[in-house]
Amino acid sequence: MSEKMNFFERLQALDRRWIYLVVLLAIMVPLVIPFNSKTYVTEPSENVYKKIDSFTGRTDRAILMCFSHDASTMAELFPMEVAILRHCFERKIQVLTICFMPQAKPLMDYAINTAKEDYNVQSGIDYLNLGYKPYGLFLPIMLGMGDDIAKAVETDDQGRKVDNLPIMKELSNYNELNLVIDFAASAAVYSWIIYARARFGANVAAGITAVMAADNYPYLQTGQLTGMLSGLKGAAEYEKMVDVFAMHKDEYGNPDPREFSKEVIKNTWIKMSDIKERRYKTARIGMNAQTVAHIMIIFFIIIGNIGYFVTRAKKKVTAE
Amino acid sequence: MTFEFISNTVAAFLTLCIFSFLYKDNPFYKFAESLFVGVSMGYAIPLVYENAFIPFVYRPIFVEHNFLIIIPSIMGALYIFRFTRNLSWLSRYPIVFGMAIVGMGVPMSMHGSVLVQMRSAMLPLDNLNTILIFIGTVTILMYFFFSKEHRGLYGKITNIGVWFMMIGFGASFGYTVMARISLLIGRIQFLLDDWLGIMR
Repeated sequence: MSEKMNFFERLQALDRRWIYLVVLLAIMVPLVIPFNSKTYVTEPSENVYKKIDSFTGRTDRAILMCFSHDASTMAELFPMEVAILRHCFERKIQVLTICFMPQAKPLMDYAINTAKEDYNVQSGIDYLNLGYKPYGLFLPIMLGMGDDIAKAVETDDQGRKVDNLPIMKELSNYNELNLVIDFAASAAVYSWIIYARARFGANVAAGITAVMAADNYPYLQTGQLTGMLSGLKGAAEYEKMVDVFAMHKDEYGNPDPREFSKEVIKNTWIKMSDIKERRYKTARIGMNAQTVAHIMIIFFIIIGNIGYFVTRAKKKVTAE
Repeated sequence: MTFEFISNTVAAFLTLCIFSFLYKDNPFYKFAESLFVGVSMGYAIPLVYENAFIPFVYRPIFVEHNFLIIIPSIMGALYIFRFTRNLSWLSRYPIVFGMAIVGMGVPMSMHGSVLVQMRSAMLPLDNLNTILIFIGTVTILMYFFFSKEHRGLYGKITNIGVWFMMIGFGASFGYTVMARISLLIGRIQFLLDDWLGIMR
């Protein structure tokens, strides 16, 4: 006759599909019934914000956003792309976009269209979409932009000569295109570090999936990366910084952008319900669900380990 | 019924098809997986044709009569011989050319990944972080020195290196969990908000 299983033994033998179901509920419930969790801003994200913000209103400075991912990692990278574009459009920071993956092209267009909905910005004047360029040209373009951007990328997404566009008037190479942000789920950012950074001294930042974050920390420590946004957390941090500083309003509700301050960001608590547009809080709402899911996973790991040791001790006793 | 609702319903159906694999492998999952591969390729081919072949091959040769482009074009076309048994050796020529570019990256990689990293590991031991970096770097390097048996005092030191690595792997694993959950959150946000519209 088989011995009756105790709680931990039953847990050890539990079908994994029950765990999937619990994780699914842990994610769904906070999304349907949202709560306000606090988003702490980390230094790597802060550095990206401060660097971009330092180009405010300058026509001789621009940032380059390189989209190096496909739809599979959109959940993590898309909110940070929209937040950065919103920051640029709000603060009149010139932005260039490019991609070397066919699958990244619609995501790049979608990010620009999503962010510019609330702004009166024009392609070729306030921003420039350089479009999709074949991956074989990645290296020649990256190196070529160190000398002359308009020669390295002759035409934009609409087939216009880049050289003739107003946005390019004061932009010639990495001296003016002073921050490159690569959004990637791969080691693509590494190419910018070893070519654009090492050869031309360009400032490079990374917007990467959380999986890649640990691999990129050594480049942050050396200063080869100016800053880094890691996964959904990085996106949530950037969304918050844009709301607290770039979108700040005075007591009469008029736009009143302010400089970054550690003290202010630390003590500011934004209610999700105060932000009307969903597209500007996607990552922060996602982080609510992430928090609950993490608590659930930590709980499972602890219970699983207790179960493992209890079962092992029981087996030992039975063997003796 | 709007176009947006129809497209979201199709996307939601395909999302659920993929999620059905969590229960067990089934024809719905297989269908969605094959469709994804087909659509990705179908989308990429005309985009590459329009953005690579036309501006960099067709237009320079046939419109601008820059016949020098024929040489790299033939070189690139040699990749196709990879699929034939007898002539597959021809595909090695463009590969060799590609390797030359990789060679160009070696000194820069040495600079970016080795020299700069070494420099930043040589810091004055004036705070806890730099002391930890020093201990971690030395003990892990000693762990990977296999000409000496990991026993006695040496074994104990390399064991510290193992602890440092385990902490590093733990951080990577934590980030990986966060990444996977984020992807699931993205899909569920789509299902609940864009498709069903029940998110507040």
